Amino acid sequence: MSNAAIIDAASAEALDPADFHSGATPIWCPGCGDYGVLSALEHALAINGRPPHEVVLVSGIGCSSRLPAYTSCYGFHGVHGRALPFAAGVKLARPDLEVIAVGGDGDGYSIGGNHFIHACRRNLDMLYLVMDNRVYGMTKGQPSPTTEADWDSDIAPGGLGLRPFDPLALAIAGGANFVARGFSGRPQELKDLIVEGLRWPGFAFIDVLSPCMAFRSEEFGWKESVHPVARTIEDDRAAAHAAVLAEDGYSLGVLFKDHRPSLPARYVAQSSLSEIEQQFAVCR
Amino acid sequence: MARSSLSVVFSGRGGAGAMSAGELLLRAAADLGYYGLMSRLFGAQVRGGEAAALVQISTEPVTCQPDRFDLFVALDWEKVDQFASEIPLDENTVIIADPQSGPTPQSIARSKAKTIPFSMSNADATPLERALQSKYTNVFAAGAVAALTGLPADALQSALSAVLGGKSATVTRANADTLAAGIAAADTLDLDLRLAPPHTAPRWLLTGNQAIAIGALRGGVRFVGCYPITPATDLVEWLSPELQNLGGRLVLAEDELASINMVLGASYGGAPAMTVTSGPGLSLMVESIGLGIAAEIPAVIVNVMRGGPSTGIPSKTEQSDINIAIYGGHGDAPRLVLAPTSVRDCMFTGEWAVYLAESLQTPVIVLSDQTLGQAFTVIDPKPDRPTPLARRTTVPDGPFKRYAIASDPVTPMPRPGTPRGQWVGEGLTHNEIGIPVGGAAAHVAQLDKRARKFAQFDPGPLWGDVWGEGETVILTFGSGIGPAQEAARRVAAAGQPVRIVSLRVLSPLPVAALAHALEGARRIVVMEQNHSAQLYHHLLAHKAIPPSAESFARPGPLPFRPAEIVAHLG
Repeated sequence: MSNAAIIDAASAEALDPADFHSGATPIWCPGCGDYGVLSALEHALAINGRPPHEVVLVSGIGCSSRLPAYTSCYGFHGVHGRALPFAAGVKLARPDLEVIAVGGDGDGYSIGGNHFIHACRRNLDMLYLVMDNRVYGMTKGQPSPTTEADWDSDIAPGGLGLRPFDPLALAIAGGANFVARGFSGRPQELKDLIVEGLRWPGFAFIDVLSPCMAFRSEEFGWKESVHPVARTIEDDRAAAHAAVLAEDGYSLGVLFKDHRPSLPARYVAQSSLSEIEQQFAVCR
Repeated sequence: MARSSLSVVFSGRGGAGAMSAGELLLRAAADLGYYGLMSRLFGAQVRGGEAAALVQISTEPVTCQPDRFDLFVALDWEKVDQFASEIPLDENTVIIADPQSGPTPQSIARSKAKTIPFSMSNADATPLERALQSKYTNVFAAGAVAALTGLPADALQSALSAVLGGKSATVTRANADTLAAGIAAADTLDLDLRLAPPHTAPRWLLTGNQAIAIGALRGGVRFVGCYPITPATDLVEWLSPELQNLGGRLVLAEDELASINMVLGASYGGAPAMTVTSGPGLSLMVESIGLGIAAEIPAVIVNVMRGGPSTGIPSKTEQSDINIAIYGGHGDAPRLVLAPTSVRDCMFTGEWAVYLAESLQTPVIVLSDQTLGQAFTVIDPKPDRPTPLARRTTVPDGPFKRYAIASDPVTPMPRPGTPRGQWVGEGLTHNEIGIPVGGAAAHVAQLDKRARKFAQFDPGPLWGDVWGEGETVILTFGSGIGPAQEAARRVAAAGQPVRIVSLRVLSPLPVAALAHALEGARRIVVMEQNHSAQLYHHLLAHKAIPPSAESFARPGPLPFRPAEIVAHLG
């Protein structure tokens, strides 16, 4: 968001979180962590100050990807795994809009994993919010890329036997400018993280621990595990990468901030189409 | 007697400059007012494979490859065996080769063509100069051939500057000297290649890929998301800097899944958007094309067809993506599929595709192929253009329902940023507001809504063309049209008129217009370049042709040539 837009927003009539609420009833199970994420997002958008019609929420497929329709913003609920390229298209065509991609860990880290890497590398000025419950919920309980190796399920009895990967380390390696972790059980802190991510230039990635009531009720114990991040590392990508790989996966807050440039927002027209067409002229 | 046309092959190992030689000859001739066409023949290797430029120069428009070549210029004999069978030569062909390259290989000599020895280096040069200039053999040879056709030296030098572009002064000077030497050496060849005077008029020289790009730009495309794939890459390589010049943007995506979704995203944002690919890329895009159809998002998908399935023959032509373009995807996903009818028409159809995508709010697939896409062709710039059509973006009064069921199946899609216009594009079966629902009523209602867009679509006279008269009809599309017309000219000259019916709209099939175009036909031959007669079966399924219609389907990678079509007609 540009400085001018911030001033505009400050002078505009104050927005209320309810302004961002569509009134549609979520399909989420009672107790799902995603309710907390939705609430934190609505509060953050009110603080951010841009009205709902200037915000676009893009998602893929999964429980959490239903979120755009629960807000009053513009939105798009696409196919599984492709939220990030769609959001990139919106942002590149319309740099004036506030673009936010949302989704789950299966959508973003498995089927959409390649796009995640390249979205970090492209570093467009947008926010990516992953509601990470470490399970495929909508297909009823299969292990995702962030699921623990020994988590027992019908499709992988006794556990998948694969180490979960660390999306934050991947985001830092990939080139994202803002890398953070939130927890749906701490909505106030999450709201602040989202506001900071929205306002930070470049690609802001927040992995939100968001427990699944239906298949991973033990995740409600996360509230005992989480703790504030030791420190936010700025600009030193190597140190941040090492720090993230060394931490326990439950530290909350901003782990890394950087100032890499993004793609240029827009090119200025230098010539007309009829001028361009003249290169083909022969026998004038 | 001066000839009205000349067909020439420049052949050599990759890197010998066969393509530059061909372009030099074609460009100089085009600047003087001749028509012409150059096809590029090469293998999959990046460097060091086989390469040949197949060039025709004529006083009349050229729309297909010739049946045979008058002249074969061997820049060297390396790798020639790999494609000798794809270059038709005969006992009247003249081969020009440098004796230093060795004897004419059997693969070429068996055509019984006569070989004329010709030293392709500057005879006056010192040994050092000769060593330095040996890499300009292509320019020497092109200069000699062009001089024999009667093209003046100054036109050749100016064409050389255009071919070389921004090369260094040293390289430019060396090439110019070599060209002059080649022109001078023409006198040593006892060959009459003189061309009749051309009919001069302002024309354009471009490829079908460039022409589609121009059409898309005219239609308003200012965002392109793509991934490199042969033979579509040269389209986006030309387009990328020009889009920047126009204030637009081309994004090199991480894969085709990203390309199509970036395009849908940019389009959702309000920008007319396009992706460009070939068969394997189209396969990857299929799921998201269905998304574009369901969520009703405009998008143009240009598919430059090549040999398939799987990796197939990347650098060579085929028309075998008809099925995937029309039917590819799960669920009921109707879409518009257009095919340019010539290199010149690539501009028109490319522009029209954008207008149809925007006005009908749906993905439109443009099926080109390597033959059209990479044919470097002299055209008469087409003055007529399709009528501009735009998407509906105005927020209606009252509560806004993006997917409202109304008499008009096309419903407004406000651009993000518009107050009161918020909507969520939805790939799940949805109600009129766009909220996912799983019931039968909404499912049927929305399927009906989208189907009505196509049922009501009337291309009018743009559905295709009827050319010539006769009770024998060749029904074809795309790169089949040019050679079919040339075949029809010959058969008609022999007293048997042939009608060519060519399709620009492949889906939804213009059944009524086709019925009219086929009136009085006693024999209908559906001609296409694939193994399984995809167009023929599409036409039969829609009862657009009678059961008695014949199929003339054969796969690529060789382009259709007129003599083959004449022989088929019998």
